[in-house]
Amino acid sequence: MKVFLSLLALPALLLPLACFLYVIIQALPALNWELIVGSDTTGNLFGDAPNAGHGLWSQISGSLLMMALACLLAAPIALSIALFHALWASARQQRLLMMLLQALQGIPPIVYGLCGLIVLVHLLHWGICLAAGGVILAVVILPLLSSNAIHALQRIPVEQTESAKALGLTSAGIIGRVWLPAAWPGMLTGLLLAMARALSETAPVLFTATVFSGVTWPDSIFSPVTSLQTHIFYLAQEGSNQHAVDVAWASATILLGLVVCFSLSARFLRRYEESV
Amino acid sequence: MFVLFWFLGDASWPYWQHFGISSVWAAEWYPYESLYGLLPAIIGTTWAMMIAMMIAVPCGLAAAIVSSEILPVIWQGWMRVGMELLAGIPSVVYGLIGLWVLLPWLQNTFDLLTGHSLLAAGMILSLMILPTIMVMSQDALRMIPTEQREAAMSMGMNWNQRLMRVLLPQAWPGIRSGILLGLGRALGETMAVMLVVGSLDRVPQPIYNILEPAQTLTSRIGREMGEAVFGSMHFSALMACGLVLAVTAICLSLLAQRKLSVVL
Repeated sequence: MKVFLSLLALPALLLPLACFLYVIIQALPALNWELIVGSDTTGNLFGDAPNAGHGLWSQISGSLLMMALACLLAAPIALSIALFHALWASARQQRLLMMLLQALQGIPPIVYGLCGLIVLVHLLHWGICLAAGGVILAVVILPLLSSNAIHALQRIPVEQTESAKALGLTSAGIIGRVWLPAAWPGMLTGLLLAMARALSETAPVLFTATVFSGVTWPDSIFSPVTSLQTHIFYLAQEGSNQHAVDVAWASATILLGLVVCFSLSARFLRRYEESV
Repeated sequence: MFVLFWFLGDASWPYWQHFGISSVWAAEWYPYESLYGLLPAIIGTTWAMMIAMMIAVPCGLAAAIVSSEILPVIWQGWMRVGMELLAGIPSVVYGLIGLWVLLPWLQNTFDLLTGHSLLAAGMILSLMILPTIMVMSQDALRMIPTEQREAAMSMGMNWNQRLMRVLLPQAWPGIRSGILLGLGRALGETMAVMLVVGSLDRVPQPIYNILEPAQTLTSRIGREMGEAVFGSMHFSALMACGLVLAVTAICLSLLAQRKLSVVL
């Protein structure tokens, strides 16, 4: 039985390593510093020169911009949801809120993308733009962020809140002096995880915010951007072009690197929080 | 959330009005001839989910058992990190891996025209939901109090009996909600599936043929959203796909919650 189980479990133990190694090995031919900082857009990609100066900087910055916008929009809302949950909501409302958040988390991201397409791109006439992508990503990460913030607040011992109340602090005082100082590592962890998630979501921004090429730095938040995720998607379909495929793997590695950065720092922060 | 549903319902209303609820079972989807049946995509989605489940549930469960019961504690931490990283890999990257590793392999093994098939989609999905299932089951196994294990040991049960009679029944609610969450994730995954599934709108012939290219709900939305004109019937049919998807996903996540809360 033990042997059988171990055999079954083997793929689960080896696959993460295999995936990472494979992606990195595939990316090696195209990966260099030039590729990361160069901002020459895809003009050279389909040209003759195999190693022409093709950079991914515009894609990287597009992804990061969209992520930053999403977090800026979602973080205050998530914080206020969490504070509402902790301060004013009755037990019934709390249960309802958690259920709603869970259900929202279960909805596939592409459905959010569809809604964004109808409302933002078509009904509000924003067109395909950075702002639409940011708003949609903000909605996608909102459930994750707020449930993390709620849990961070719940971990504060009740005694602290009660003694703060006994000292006569107003609710603003409780929030500012007691809760936020105690809960910020947990909230920041949630924020980092949400950033990783926003970076890796592709489907919702594919039709609402990104174009394939031609943009190095968006002029305003109402102009389209390029992003790493969708860049990989478009390049992956260029099956016959070896250079495009190499660049796709390289972009995959960069994206992986960014996501891993965020989730690892979230992990360290969580450990720090537990040790305090 | 209500706003979301309202918009989806509003946008897909022309579709429902024109074809009625029965079109969910209609088998043809040819946008240029105004035939919009959802059946091929629904069958495709179901198959992909089932294949993913068949691979991911035993593997994930076994990995959870091995890592929480057999391996030493240090290894557990590393596995945890590995699984979290695996869960963090963007779905496009999975699609890329599937496209360049899985498809040629399937093509050679089963002697197919291209590797694009439901089987490939199912396998990629199983890779993606493995972390979800494993982390949830591991948590469930870890929550079992030590006294239970000690009591089982003192009754002279051997390892197999302990696992089957004590650990699994106790951890089952957690495992089940992990499986349901994984199912929801498999349902909603778009990019990876879109790259490997082949996007052919047809009911598999015969229906259990999983080596043919097919279509899932998500991959259809992803493929055709760029082509559909805003306000057309095609557009609202795609919205209907989205609505079906959202309703199913919400049912799944509520189900996962319900089971959990009954036990707690």
